[in-house]
Amino acid sequence: MFRTISIVAFAVTVGCLALNCIISPCKECWRHPLRKMAHLFTLLLLEKKLSLMEILRKLVYLLALLCFVILAVTGFYPTIILGEHISGYLIIVHATFAPILAICLAVLAVMWARNCRFNLSDWPWFGRIVQRVTLVKSTGEETQRKSSGLGQKITFWLIIILALPLILSIILSMYTLFGTYWQELLLGIHRYTALVFALVGIVHTYLVIRTKMQE
Amino acid sequence: MLVLCLSAPIACLANEAIVAETDQKLLGDESDGSRAPSIHLIPLFAENEDGEKGGKITPDDDPLLPFSTRWTCGECHSYGIIGKGWHFNAADPNVTPGRPGQPWILADARTGIQIPLSYRPWPGTFKPEQVGFTAREFTRYFGRHTPGGAAGELETQDPDEIMRSYISGKLEINCLSCHNAEFAHNQGEYFPQLVRENFRWAAAATCEFASVSGSARDMIENYPTYDPFMPEPPEDAKKVPPTITYRKTAFDQDNNVSFNIVREVPNYRCYFCHSNLYIDKEDTEKWTSDEDIHLTAGLKCVDCHRNGVDHNITRGYEGEASVSTNPLVTTSSCESCHLGVKDSSLPVAGRLGAPVPKHPGIPPVHFEKLTCTACHSGPWPSEKTILTKTSRAHRLGTLNANKSKEALPHIVAPVFAKQAGIGAEYIGKLLLMEAGKIAPHKMIWPAYWATVENQNVAPIAFATVTEVIVPVFADVNRPTSGDWPELTAEHIVKGLKALAKSVKGTPVYISAGKLYKLDDSGTLSEEEHPSARPYLWPIAHDVRPAAQSLGIRYCTDCHATDGPFFFGDITVDSPIVAARETKKMIEFQDINPFYAWAFAFSFVFRPWMKIIALCSSAILAGVLLLYTLKMLACIAKVLTERD
Repeated sequence: MFRTISIVAFAVTVGCLALNCIISPCKECWRHPLRKMAHLFTLLLLEKKLSLMEILRKLVYLLALLCFVILAVTGFYPTIILGEHISGYLIIVHATFAPILAICLAVLAVMWARNCRFNLSDWPWFGRIVQRVTLVKSTGEETQRKSSGLGQKITFWLIIILALPLILSIILSMYTLFGTYWQELLLGIHRYTALVFALVGIVHTYLVIRTKMQE
Repeated sequence: MLVLCLSAPIACLANEAIVAETDQKLLGDESDGSRAPSIHLIPLFAENEDGEKGGKITPDDDPLLPFSTRWTCGECHSYGIIGKGWHFNAADPNVTPGRPGQPWILADARTGIQIPLSYRPWPGTFKPEQVGFTAREFTRYFGRHTPGGAAGELETQDPDEIMRSYISGKLEINCLSCHNAEFAHNQGEYFPQLVRENFRWAAAATCEFASVSGSARDMIENYPTYDPFMPEPPEDAKKVPPTITYRKTAFDQDNNVSFNIVREVPNYRCYFCHSNLYIDKEDTEKWTSDEDIHLTAGLKCVDCHRNGVDHNITRGYEGEASVSTNPLVTTSSCESCHLGVKDSSLPVAGRLGAPVPKHPGIPPVHFEKLTCTACHSGPWPSEKTILTKTSRAHRLGTLNANKSKEALPHIVAPVFAKQAGIGAEYIGKLLLMEAGKIAPHKMIWPAYWATVENQNVAPIAFATVTEVIVPVFADVNRPTSGDWPELTAEHIVKGLKALAKSVKGTPVYISAGKLYKLDDSGTLSEEEHPSARPYLWPIAHDVRPAAQSLGIRYCTDCHATDGPFFFGDITVDSPIVAARETKKMIEFQDINPFYAWAFAFSFVFRPWMKIIALCSSAILAGVLLLYTLKMLACIAKVLTERD
């Protein structure tokens, strides 16, 4: 069941992203492709002169990305490809990188949350509803403000929200608090949360790359 | 009519009348529903010289014959149907062997032999005929811890054996060995009777109102024409023919006797053949250890191990349903009693008051990889396996049983190993059904003399080995404890050279997982060989309380870099001193040792991982809370601006 759902979910997500690329092609991305690729790989370090804090933040982001890829591969490979539970060396690798991702997410949450706050320019329709309800006159500033990447913001907060059940479901199962029924339930929560987390992570990464390459 | 035949050329299951069954049910084959015990005030019947039902026995008969269970108990219970039950059908090649069980072990310190035998085709065991044992000899050696039947009733076409059988009789199913609740029933008496080949008298000799003296074996060897139905005093006064004496007061005015027969077999009857003694401490007296938790809780063995008149008893292992026709088999395993049966139309969990286990903190993957017994049964694993004695292997409960801890055979336990498959079908070759889970086992390292022809290793007949090897090892010091003698390579060379003169093919010695043979230059060489692999059978009992199960303290009960579950030492047992070494449990678990070590090592960091993950979660939750509050504040501000 989970295997089927995972395969379908990954296929749909990748399909949607591909569709997005076709419908709304990134023209900038195809100019100077080599330079863009180099830019992509050094995306977060060499683009401009960075402060120590910014370097740290981007290093954490890269590390989180690496952990995300490793955890996704070790977690989903046995399930989707082999059709069995994670075991053997994969579980050792999985359990080794999981706490690193948890730390990275915590650091990123602290460092990036401020940048990812929503404002009314993200939601012009929401602003209009609020104005109608509250009868506050528009100053015109809100709609003029440039959007700072709604998709990235949404996926960022989704990642932060999903990270909680993702981490807690597996950590709590390691304590002698829950019996077999709850163990299985927690494992199920971990699996499905991980699936959604992975999909959101992919979309987030796609949006980040697209945005950065357009700059 | 169903005739069960052995693959052996001369043997065929006894008395066709036994297996000739009709649809007609006898009085005791089916209950009327009353749970009250049936009173057995019954006449005794002997078997006559034609193997048919004889006359009713009275204490004044001359000659006084032993009662026959076939004709006495068989009056009301279908003997032929009972004879197909698990305890009696080992010699039937058509019976599915199921999960490997405890073999009979032929052990002899004089010749350096301990070899697992079984009529059931469990891989790793040898058929009794492979060591030259006729059914009669097998019965004489091992019938002591059986409830009769099986090999004891096999017929032969060998005229000499037929004559012997006429004098000794057959070893009928001894119903009393299990169902006689009378405390004065002495099952230990079975052993001396079988040694004397008093097969016909053995069952009666164990009961509380009869005693048997004399020896059919003496008659067979000295007076081959002796007729037990018309006995004449032997010329040699020292040779006493088998004679039975009944306690006269046991007979009532109608010459009926009262048996205290119970349907639900008392535990102490099961214990006669199924006792285990784990030599895990200095003092192994019974009072220093507990029984199985189920018995302590008030259950009886037969509460779980049940059968109907067919005596097709449930063995209780996972997967038994695929090889058993017992209708209760699906609800008689650990899992089905404690957890219920999936897809059952009615709830069956909690039978017999079985608590539903919570298994807090145990990841469900453990239930896919381990049997229930892995954590709950047998002795707690220690750095090294311990020696174990069992009723059947060490003749426990019989006269002059060797009480020494080192007595042969050497069974080591607990060995945590991946289970061999369940023997599902035997058609020339055993078809094994994957079992796959890790379970605690008892293990025996076979040691025997054999010949090799075309890469096939065949044990040499025990009689030949005794005849050749005993004189060769005459100068070897044998411990009085019954332990192995301390053999050297030189002894093995001598033994092999001596055997080369007496047997066809190349003689070899199997021990400690290796095959020893002489090369062309006469030097002893050794090699790993499949025929030398140890034989393992799963431990089911004694079940420990939940509070003493593996993992109760922490994961490191098993997942430690030096944890005995994976890295405990298994004694490699051998009479050859130089071959005595150890192997690790993990070698029998089909798991990469480095992986097991690395996984166990990761548990060193497990507490750190938990702390990191919990702290990270707290920070994430804090950020979410903070920005949720900010969002609410923002909304509140907008609403306030309206006012």
